[in-house]
Amino acid sequence: MIEIEHLSKHYGETIVVDDVSLRVDEGTITVVVGTSGAGKSTLLRMINRLVEPSAGRVLIDGQDTMSIPEDELRHRIGYVIQGHGLFPHRTVAGNIATVPRLLGWDAKRIAQRVEELLLLFQLDPAEFAKKYPHELSGGQQQRVGVARALAARPALLLMDEPFGALDPLIRSKAQDDLLTIQRRLGTTVVLVTHDMEEAFHLGDMIAVMDEARLLQYGTAAELLTRPLPGFVERLVGTAERPFRLLSLAKVGDAVEPGSAEGEPVDVSSNLRDALSRLIWIGSPTAPVADASGAIVGRISVDGILAHGRRPT
Amino acid sequence: MERDTNARATRFLVTTSSARASVPGASPFRLGVSFDRLGSVIALLAGISVFVLPFVTYRANRIVSGEPRLLLHALPTTVAVAVMGAVVAVALVAVFIRWPTVRLTAAALGLVVVVPAVGLSAGFMTPTGNNFARISPASGFWLLTLALGLLVADSLTRLRFGPWARLGALVIAAVAVAILLVSGAWHNLSLLKEYATRADSFWREADQHIFLSLGSVAAAAAVGLPLGVLCHRVRAVRGPTLQVLNIVQTIPSIALFGMLMVPLGFLAANVPAAAAIGIRGIGAAPAFVALFLYALLPIVANTVVGLDQVPANVVDAARGMGMSRRQRLTQVKIPLALPIILTGIRIVLVQNLGLATVAALIGGGGFGTFVFQGVGQTAMDLVLLGAIPTVALSFAAAVILDAVIDLAGRVRK
Ligand SMILES: Nc1ncnc2c1ncn2[C@@H]1O[C@H](COP(=O)(O)OP(=O)(O)O)[C@@H](O)[C@H]1O
Ligand SMILES: [Mg+2]
Repeated sequence: MIEIEHLSKHYGETIVVDDVSLRVDEGTITVVVGTSGAGKSTLLRMINRLVEPSAGRVLIDGQDTMSIPEDELRHRIGYVIQGHGLFPHRTVAGNIATVPRLLGWDAKRIAQRVEELLLLFQLDPAEFAKKYPHELSGGQQQRVGVARALAARPALLLMDEPFGALDPLIRSKAQDDLLTIQRRLGTTVVLVTHDMEEAFHLGDMIAVMDEARLLQYGTAAELLTRPLPGFVERLVGTAERPFRLLSLAKVGDAVEPGSAEGEPVDVSSNLRDALSRLIWIGSPTAPVADASGAIVGRISVDGILAHGRRPT
Repeated sequence: MERDTNARATRFLVTTSSARASVPGASPFRLGVSFDRLGSVIALLAGISVFVLPFVTYRANRIVSGEPRLLLHALPTTVAVAVMGAVVAVALVAVFIRWPTVRLTAAALGLVVVVPAVGLSAGFMTPTGNNFARISPASGFWLLTLALGLLVADSLTRLRFGPWARLGALVIAAVAVAILLVSGAWHNLSLLKEYATRADSFWREADQHIFLSLGSVAAAAAVGLPLGVLCHRVRAVRGPTLQVLNIVQTIPSIALFGMLMVPLGFLAANVPAAAAIGIRGIGAAPAFVALFLYALLPIVANTVVGLDQVPANVVDAARGMGMSRRQRLTQVKIPLALPIILTGIRIVLVQNLGLATVAALIGGGGFGTFVFQGVGQTAMDLVLLGAIPTVALSFAAAVILDAVIDLAGRVRK
């Protein structure tokens, strides 16, 4: 668990982060979102002390980060930046081995860990271990960047616009991969982005920042249903709101008793996708199947739409 | 052959002037030969050297002016004709064959024929029992060597040899020269007679030359690299340091030697310890210090530039992963700056190998000793005895460091 308490940063007269407090739970993804210059990177970099706070403190599992020598602190925290920042003079394997080497792991353990991570990120060790970063595609470089950050099994991973340099198709694949890997490893992630779509896609919790201040911090659903008037409301996007709500809810939340004709939809898919199906096949209802394929009820257009409606 | 038009070769068009005059715009008659432009120049130079210019100069003793001899008269006729034939063959290859390996082989074989031939000529022309007569290579020989050397260099460029191959080629060339000198093929040439009469001092000055140039560069690297790191880290140090070094760089070498004589002379006169380790107002000490100062700017400046150009996000990532300042410097910044730092060292090494000749003017020794003695005595061979090894050392240093730079920067784009 990370507790950020009244954290501030100013450079001379300019206040870059202004009295931010928030709590990040173990094993969750928290996305800090806001326009460029809002102070997101500075907030993130104060967690691993790349930037020294002007006031306030950061606790990791109850321990004040100021009480840990900074290099040691950073060995325990993964850090991924936009444009990956891979070492051009080291191979993929050498890049991934960076922190384990700093920690003095023995060669065999490092080699095992590198191979394990390459497999986790769907990079064939035989092909990729010996390549240099410039020989990789943008997507591969990005994956190596994340693998490198995870090499010493940090409990916390900080990511600053990690997908910013990728084109859209590769970006959404990279986001899905991150979700899968994060769920599997249980790593706590704090991710900075200016992309609201990415925030809703990845964030268990979303923190909206503007002009150095934390405006609102809550779950995606909270942000959609009860956005703070003004900046947050605009950022959340009024026109998109019902559809974003639908993509947060699962078919299971809207399943009704009864039967329907046609192909069943999966109980774990989201309501937005289910609605798309119904519109496309031109039917008001469809049966719902669970993971084993058994029919558990049906879903209707009206039932779905109710979930996208403004709460009263 | 017609089809594989090389970028550097031009298709040669021959038009008859009458046709052009009478039928404007008519398509010219094409002679079906493709033609290498540089190769033709080389062939022309080779032809002039062999048939028009003197191959060697004969002098009755080492300082009188000489009589030029054409190749045909400098060797027994059959040998002379054979050498001419070989040169013509190489010239034809230079003009008509595009394949770089063939051109390289031809040029190398040409050198293997021509270079010993000049030694043979010396033996042929020295009257038996005459120790005063001097035979030295003349313009024809030098021009021919230049032409063949050009052909070698051009083929090597076209072959795009990697760093190891270039180092290999350098070793082969060095071995060939060593064989030539040790075999005695050149013993009758005036240059080697000059060497023979002062072999001891030659090697002493060679040591001194290498000590002055390599030693000053090593000292400059030992000081310049940390100074460069300091300038990179502390902005306040950078401006003044680079400015001072810039000014030093603009002082002419003789003036700098002169300026150093005063303080070093003072030091020698007043500090016995300084005098004991060989510091004097004249001699090697001011020369060494001057060469050291000249080497400092390129090393410091390139270190600063090299460290500055390391991408900021790479350094940021290194810091974010918990690399200490020292680890970032040694594991990230210096490796990434290395090609640029080495370029600085290459520049000063080649520069100081040349500049060290000037040290002789203030009694610092080195190959310059022969050059200036030779100038004083108007003995060209003595000048060459100092100049040729200097050029060869600079050339070898350039080839070696270029290869090292390539190897250091190889992993990156
Ligand atoms: N070292 C610094 N000195 C002065 N101003 C800075 C420094 N670092 C960041 N800033 C300023 O702080 C503001 C917030 O920066 P940053 O945290 O990078 O924003 P974001 O990541 O949200 O785009 C920007 O206006 C930036 O110019
Ligand atoms: Mg930022």
